[in-house]
Amino acid sequence: MLTTILTAPVLAAPGVIAASQSNGELFLLAGPGGAALLYFTLWRYYRNTDKSHSFERETRIQGQPITGSDGKVSEVTGTRSKRINGANDTDHRERVQRLP
Amino acid sequence: MTTLPPPGEPRPLPPPPPTIDTENKRLDDGVNRCPKCGSTEIQLRPSVGMLVCLFCRHEWAEARLDETVANGDLSALQGTTLGSGAADIDTGAGTLVTMKCGGCGAEVVVNTAGQMSARCHWCRHVLTVNEQVPNGAVPDAVLPFSITHADAVAKITAFAGKRRMFANRAFLREFRPENVVGVYLPYMVIDSRASADVSGFGEIETRRYTRGTGDNKVTYYDADVYQVHRHVDFTVDDLTIEASAERADQNTSVNTNNVINTILPFDTENAVKWNASYLTGFTSEKRDQDVSHMVPTLENQLLSIARSQVASSLGAYDRGVRWEQERLAVHGTRWLAMYLPVWLYSYHHVERGKGMVHYIAVNGRTGEVMGSVPVSHARLLVAALAVGTVVEAVVIAFLAAS
Repeated sequence: MLTTILTAPVLAAPGVIAASQSNGELFLLAGPGGAALLYFTLWRYYRNTDKSHSFERETRIQGQPITGSDGKVSEVTGTRSKRINGANDTDHRERVQRLP
Repeated sequence: MTTLPPPGEPRPLPPPPPTIDTENKRLDDGVNRCPKCGSTEIQLRPSVGMLVCLFCRHEWAEARLDETVANGDLSALQGTTLGSGAADIDTGAGTLVTMKCGGCGAEVVVNTAGQMSARCHWCRHVLTVNEQVPNGAVPDAVLPFSITHADAVAKITAFAGKRRMFANRAFLREFRPENVVGVYLPYMVIDSRASADVSGFGEIETRRYTRGTGDNKVTYYDADVYQVHRHVDFTVDDLTIEASAERADQNTSVNTNNVINTILPFDTENAVKWNASYLTGFTSEKRDQDVSHMVPTLENQLLSIARSQVASSLGAYDRGVRWEQERLAVHGTRWLAMYLPVWLYSYHHVERGKGMVHYIAVNGRTGEVMGSVPVSHARLLVAALAVGTVVEAVVIAFLAAS
């Protein structure tokens, strides 16, 4: 709804229609996008729903040297993605298939 | 109707887990007397972390649990060991404990759901629950408050003060930080020795190139794909997990318990042997979770720790790693039940007919503060619309000019 309110008069403005034929359309999303981002950022600053105890870093952990293996299995060519599909190496709390 | 198993070789029952006896037997009679004058008017003095006799002002402290219980080498931890205060809760045991007054012999009832002491209505002795009754009310150890009420009020005021502009107006009107309450919350403090394996795929970029011209330039990547496997053995000292089902529920769409979780960790190595006089003047919540209820949470956290540990070995994979399988083997755990100190400010806020208690919590040892402040959606919307309009105007002006 916020997007509709902010973009409707803008898209109707003469002179902008020409620009909207290219990357201009994306730029026009900056207003509604910025508004939504500000709303969400402020809401989270007050409500702190994303916060929890960082037990991975704040607990005394003694790890032995890490062992393992790395074997090349294939190649990817011509992908537009900057990261491997489904990368989760930084999301330590996302569980994957648990083996017995 | 139950049926007997078919006849065969009788199998012995599995032995109960070994127990560390943490009971403070000196106080079993329920009368905690000042060692100097014999008075039972005793409470915690948070500024020094000592018990103080309100009659003669003598100060003393219980011994640290670490000094009285053999901790052992974590790298040799094997099997499951429980503190006697972490034993399974007897569902038949109620919250009411009847004690015989050591002063006059009268019977005094204490409701352990919210308090651990009562005054004898005949002779005015203060009776405290120190015997490890099987209802989960008496833990292995307690970590006394060291942050005072005044400090907690100041920290909560500062926290809320930074969040005034878009706070709900009723919250601001009714904000009374002096109403903050000191609560001892139940936790399990767990030492563990575990091994974990993780496997998946990682990619290393081999080539980056651009195709197209002008506005239609697109960047493409080539990469080598590797099968990655990692193994790590590790020990964890004093991992702290909520031992109350209500506090363990951290669904942020219905409660704000996550802010209480955020103020962890505590300096649990300084926890002292249980003495209910540490709770005088504070409230407490009883443990309602057994070890078996908490094993899934422990294993989940150990897996997260393992994933965090192996992350440092993935530097070569500049396009990241996708873990697909993980395995955990827990070799040994040691569980101690503890009461840990939290200053809690709570505010019940109703929005669209749905109520939620918003907490601002202060760690009673470190002073770390975290909270949830209900927002004024109208104010947030006005601010967002104003900023969005300005940004949009700038964009339009830029596009028109170009």
